Amino acid sequence: MKLSTYVIRRILILIPTLIGLTIIVFLLTRAGGTNMIIGPYLNPRLSAQQQLIEKQQLIKQFHLNDPVWVQYFYYMWALVQGNWGLTKTAIYTGPVTTAIALFMPNTIQLAIVAYVIAMFIAIPSGTASAVRKNSFVDQFTRFIAFVGISLPVFWLAQILAEAFATPTISPSLNIFPLGGTVDANLLVGQSWYNQYLGISYPTHIMMIDALIHGDIPVFISAVRHVILPAATLAFTSIAGIMRYMRSSMMETLNQDYVRTARSKGVPEKIVIKKHARKNALIPVVTVSGLLFAGLLGGVVVIEEIFNYPGMGYWTYWAMMGLDSGGIMGSTIVFGLILVSANFVVDILYAVIDPRIRLGE
Amino acid sequence: MVEKKRNPKLESFIITMKIFLRDPGAVFGLVVVMIYILIALIDEFDPGLIGLTDVNSLMPNYYNPSPLPPSSQHIFGTTFPGIDLFQGILKAIRLDIGITFFVVGIGAISGILLGLVSGYFGKWIDEIIMRTTDIFFSIPFLVLAIAIAFFMGRTILIISFALIIIWWPTYARVVRGQVLYIKELAYIEAARASATKNHKIIFKHILPNTLAPIFVQFSMDLASVALIFATLSFLGFVPTLGGSSSASSGGYIPELGYLSSIGYSYAVVGDWWTIVFPGFALLLFALSMNLVGDGLRDALDPRFRR
Repeated sequence: MKLSTYVIRRILILIPTLIGLTIIVFLLTRAGGTNMIIGPYLNPRLSAQQQLIEKQQLIKQFHLNDPVWVQYFYYMWALVQGNWGLTKTAIYTGPVTTAIALFMPNTIQLAIVAYVIAMFIAIPSGTASAVRKNSFVDQFTRFIAFVGISLPVFWLAQILAEAFATPTISPSLNIFPLGGTVDANLLVGQSWYNQYLGISYPTHIMMIDALIHGDIPVFISAVRHVILPAATLAFTSIAGIMRYMRSSMMETLNQDYVRTARSKGVPEKIVIKKHARKNALIPVVTVSGLLFAGLLGGVVVIEEIFNYPGMGYWTYWAMMGLDSGGIMGSTIVFGLILVSANFVVDILYAVIDPRIRLGE
Repeated sequence: MVEKKRNPKLESFIITMKIFLRDPGAVFGLVVVMIYILIALIDEFDPGLIGLTDVNSLMPNYYNPSPLPPSSQHIFGTTFPGIDLFQGILKAIRLDIGITFFVVGIGAISGILLGLVSGYFGKWIDEIIMRTTDIFFSIPFLVLAIAIAFFMGRTILIISFALIIIWWPTYARVVRGQVLYIKELAYIEAARASATKNHKIIFKHILPNTLAPIFVQFSMDLASVALIFATLSFLGFVPTLGGSSSASSGGYIPELGYLSSIGYSYAVVGDWWTIVFPGFALLLFALSMNLVGDGLRDALDPRFRR
């Protein structure tokens, strides 16, 4: 099968998944009852009678008296048009799509930093435990991997916050501040930072915006704010990536070309670094993205604990404020992230390993 | 001399146990899990045995609400409002372990059934079931659980239901993969040739041979479900318990994630014990379950049998 044929096939499989994703979210919103759907649109200042009239209008507007499949059609039509409804939370009120545009960039920043941290720890330790199989290093990393998958994310975040951001407990370790993406005091009166939302302009990614405006202290503060939540998020996926790296590396070390390199007298260090690790890395890099995306849901807990204004923080407040629009929007966005990660990984894998598309 | 009767099933079981017991981590995990289960059972049937009175309530003490450090009277200290952490954790284990076993049990059974059907009959049934699992895998677990619990209600049944919905697809996939391999083997073909009924082939000849990876998956999932369940209650999906005791407890439900969440605002001002102990109790359970799962994987893998 040619690569292009494979890609087209993969896109065709993508369609039922996406439809299924929207069906799940749609059914959930309908399971919540009428009040949950129209709640954010009701004007609380109206009298009871006026509210009743408004309610009837809204039910008509959202076609809530039609059969379910008709409702789904209207729902999908609105989604495709970019009309994702309203969100009313303690931190933001407005269209869901605007909320996503505001909060998503901070989560992207968090995810990228976390991914880099995870790879920097997982790749070397995975390599080391493959090279020295069953040694102390191997056993130790194995144990850490076990702890990594057994740690409650909320607990790790709390412990890190306590250890590195609580002056009363650890004055000497108090290096990473808590709360927000930046020290807001540095930005008083700056027009490119919204103090109320904790979000910067124009890209909404704090570190990049600080660089755009040439404000180095703000940039440093932004880096210090992102380290703790990113480390927490990274730790959840390190175990998986590390184990994958270990098995991939062990497989590569058994390959003929590695034996050839060794037999012609290439030093072991170079065999591992240049010959084996480079090839072992390819599948790990592709799959790690998927592993990471699957655990991205952890940001709901992490961003809540560190008061980091991203998608998870917004989801948390939507949850607290009984805001159905916010929950619906964030579920779809997290779903889309995972689905596209899956898609990209499959394509990359087919590019790297032609056996996959030939086997179909 | 009496000839010893050979029982292949028993021998296989003994070999499995031997390999399992050779792994110190797995043994440690098994012992800890047993202790947790024992605590949960005592909580359920005879709480007085370990000095607990009302297992459905954390028994807040409003006369002395601020957290107290660990002492001889409260060995893990107390958390707001005057809740003894040691007793609270002992009580919480019942709910956490109970829900976890319930969720993984129901999820596994439904997943196994669907996986068997999917793999054995193939064609459009397989296509439908597998595409459905794709859909459930397309949303991160935690986000999906939040969405389900958010829209459908926060009772203990709905939260369990949400977790079951998330967990069955894994089993369906694992079993389906096994079935696809097993059903091509000669002995299944022989069974089919001798006109054995489908349900008999599935349950008598295929199912027993898919169980090894299921056991491994099962023990690992007990860890992850316990974590997700605690995370949900940490985030505010505190399950409500029936009965008058929960009403009189003012909503303070014994649950590890919840205990951790009420302690947080005190932990950041220095009362470290309010979060360290509940979280550690959860970590210990999840870690032990994962170690047991890993030990099982080695023990059930024929490649390790020598």
